[in-house]
Amino acid sequence: MKKNFIIIFCMILSINVFAQESKDKHLAKLPAVEIQDLNGNAFNTADIQNDGKPVIVSLWATWCKPCIAELLAIADEYEDWVEETGVKLYAISIDDAKTSARVAPFVKGKNWEYTVLLDVNSDFKRAMNVNDVPFMCILNGDGEIVWQHTSYAPGSEEEVYEIIKSLVKK
Amino acid sequence: MIFNSIKRFLFASGLLFCCIYAQAQHQIGNSRISGDFGFNGMYYIPDSIIGAEPVDSKVRGNAFLNILYSNGGFSAGARYEFYMFPLIDFDKIGYKGQGIRYFFAEYTNKFISVTAGNYYEQFGNGLTLRAYEDRQLGIDNSLLGARIKLTPYKGIYLKGIWGMERRNFDSYLDRHDFVSGSDLELSFGEMFPVIQEKGFTARVGASFVSKFEQPDQNHIFTLHPGTDSAMQAIIPSDKWPKNVATWATRMTFGYKDFRLDGEYARKINDPNISNGYIYKPGESFFLSATYARKGLGIAASFIRADNMEFRSQRSENSNSLLMVNCIPAINRQYSYQLIGDYSYASQPNSQIGAQLQVNYQIPKKSVLGGKYGTDLTFNYSRFHDIERQLVPEAIENGTMTGTTGYTSSFFKFGPNLLYQDIGLEISHRFNNKKWKWILAYNYITYNLEILQGHAGMMRGHLVASDLSYKITPKHALRLELQHLYTKDDDGSSIYGMLEYSFSPNWFVSIGDDWNYGNPLEGHKTHYYNISCAYVWNTTRIALNFGKTKEGILCVGGVCRAVPASFGAGLSVTTSF
Repeated sequence: MKKNFIIIFCMILSINVFAQESKDKHLAKLPAVEIQDLNGNAFNTADIQNDGKPVIVSLWATWCKPCIAELLAIADEYEDWVEETGVKLYAISIDDAKTSARVAPFVKGKNWEYTVLLDVNSDFKRAMNVNDVPFMCILNGDGEIVWQHTSYAPGSEEEVYEIIKSLVKK
Repeated sequence: MIFNSIKRFLFASGLLFCCIYAQAQHQIGNSRISGDFGFNGMYYIPDSIIGAEPVDSKVRGNAFLNILYSNGGFSAGARYEFYMFPLIDFDKIGYKGQGIRYFFAEYTNKFISVTAGNYYEQFGNGLTLRAYEDRQLGIDNSLLGARIKLTPYKGIYLKGIWGMERRNFDSYLDRHDFVSGSDLELSFGEMFPVIQEKGFTARVGASFVSKFEQPDQNHIFTLHPGTDSAMQAIIPSDKWPKNVATWATRMTFGYKDFRLDGEYARKINDPNISNGYIYKPGESFFLSATYARKGLGIAASFIRADNMEFRSQRSENSNSLLMVNCIPAINRQYSYQLIGDYSYASQPNSQIGAQLQVNYQIPKKSVLGGKYGTDLTFNYSRFHDIERQLVPEAIENGTMTGTTGYTSSFFKFGPNLLYQDIGLEISHRFNNKKWKWILAYNYITYNLEILQGHAGMMRGHLVASDLSYKITPKHALRLELQHLYTKDDDGSSIYGMLEYSFSPNWFVSIGDDWNYGNPLEGHKTHYYNISCAYVWNTTRIALNFGKTKEGILCVGGVCRAVPASFGAGLSVTTSF
C-alpha cells in the first residue's frame, strides 16, 4: 500500500518538474468524455465550444435545490447575457437512470434556453473531479478553463457575468 | 495510534497536494493532472435522550484523495481512502479501512475504449447492471477487471465487461465470484440522420449479465417451521447454481416533443437470502413516457419488479453491498428535512407502481405569472408490493425455501401499499427580483413496517416554504419553514432554518427541527444545528455543531440508516 502511494507521489513529482520547464504549458481544457444529449445521442464533452466566445458549463441535477436556484437566477438574465457577450451555457445533468427521463420535461417546464446534456454514469463529473453539485466552470474562447466554482449563493451569478464580460473584452 | 495514523495521512496528502498545486489547472500539451480531496470529520458527544451512544473514539473522520492523469486518449487514476476511524454511520455499515481501492488505466479513441482496473458502468436503465458510487451513502460497487467499448459504426455501441465487485475494504484475493456481461445499443437516428431530421428518435438495446459464484457450503433450513412436524432439510452445495443470468431488452421511441422509453428484464436461477432461497425466475418492467414543450413538461412512468434483487454473493444482505443491478425508485425525490425519513426505498423483490409529474410555467408577463413566470409542479406516485400466490410445494413444506416460491400475476397490485405521495409546488419570483418564494404541500403515506421494519403506516401532511430575499446583489437571506403534521410514528415536527449568504464566499445558517408532537414525554426534542461554510472557487470548508435525529438517509431510492448523533463536524472538499 505504502509503496503504491510513493510511486504515485514520485510520478506526480516528476511530471510536475517537467511541467514547469515546458513552454507548452497552458490552462487546462475540458476532458473528452462521452455523454449524451437529450435525444440520447452520443456527445463528446471535447466538442463543447461556442465559435470563439465564452462558455459556461454547469453540473446540476433535478433533485438539487441550489443547482436549480442558480440556473433559475441565470435564466432571468440569460437573454441579456447572450445578446451582450454571445455566451453559451451547457447545463450537464448528473441525474441517473431514476430521474434522467424527467430532465427534458423539467427543463422545458422551466423554459430554459440552455443546451442540456446528460451524464447518467457520472463519467464527466468524475473526470472533472467534482465532489458535489452545483459546480460551474467558465471556458474562454479557446476552450480553456479560466474559472471553477462549487456551491451557489444568491448573487454569485453577478461574478460569473463579470468574468464573461472580461473575457469578451480581451 | 489514531492520531499517528491521521498525522501520517495528513502529512502524505499535504505533500502531494503542495506539489500538484503548482501544476494544477494547467496542462502541458495534452497532458494534465487533476484531483480532488475530501474530509468529513466529527467530534461526538453522547446524548441519551436522542439515543446518541458513547463511541469508542470520539474523533472520527472519512477522507479520500483522487488523482487523475490524462494525455489525449489515455487516462489513469487512483483514489486513496482513509476510513480507519470512519464516521459512525460508515462504521455501522462496515465501510472501514484504508488503501487504494480504486485505480484504473484507460485508452479511448473514436472506435474503441479499453479500461483496466476499477470502473463504473451501467447497461440501459440499470435493470441488469449498475456499478456506481455514492460517497454520501458509502456505496461503491465499482468492478475490478476490464471493460471494452466499441463503436464499429456511427450509432452502434457495443460493451463488454468482466470484473469483481468491490466489497468495502475487504480483500479481492479470497473471492469466488465475478460478474461478466455485454451490451448492444443501436441508435437509428445516428445511423440514418434522415430519421432525426424528420423529428424521430429510435433506439433499441439488449444486455446480458451473468454472475459466477463458486458454491461454498450446504444450506440447511427448516421445513414446517414453528410446528410439531418441524424438520431440517438441506440444499446441498452442488445444487446451488454456479451461474446466475439476467438479460434485458429496451427501446426508445420519440417524435418531436414526445418520448417513450421501455425496458424489460429477466433473471433466472438465483436462490438468495433476500428471496428466501427460491428458484423462481425474476422479472422487471420499466416504462416511461414524457411530453415536453416550452413551458410544459409531463413525465409518467411505471415500474414492476419481482424477485430482481441481484448480488455478487447470494448470502449478502447488508444494505446495497455487492448489488449488481439497480431497480430504480421512480418517485419524486425531495430534500425537505422533515420528510427525509419517509423517503421511498426501491424494493427490487416486490414492487409495482407509477408516478406522474407535471411541470408548468404560467407565462411570463401574465397576471398570475408576473414578470418572470410562476412555476408549478404537480406530482403523484403510488407503489404497492406485488400480488403473490404460494406454489403448492411451498404450502406443503410450510416454507418457500428450495421451491419455486410463488406465482404472481403481472399487472395486479399487491395488498400492501408501500408509498404514496401527492404534491404541489409553486415557485414565484417577485417583480423586483429581490424576493423568491417556493411553497409546497405534500400528503405522504409511508409503510413503516415494510420499509423500515417497525409497525404501522405513517400518514402525514407537509407544508414547506422557502423564502429568499436578496438584501443587496451579494447579500441574501433564506428562510425555510416546514411543518409535518402526523399522528403516526414520532408525531408532528416543525422546522425552521435561516441562512445568510455573502456571495460568493460565506454561508452561515442556524436551524431547529422540533419534534413537538412526539408521543413520549421527554422526547419532544429540539434537533438544532448551527453551521458556517466558506467557499473559495472549488474549495469548501464547513463547520457545524448540532444534533442529528436517528433516521434514514436516501439518495435516489437507495437508503441507509443514520444513527442519532450530537457533536461538532468539519468538512473540507477541494478539487484541483
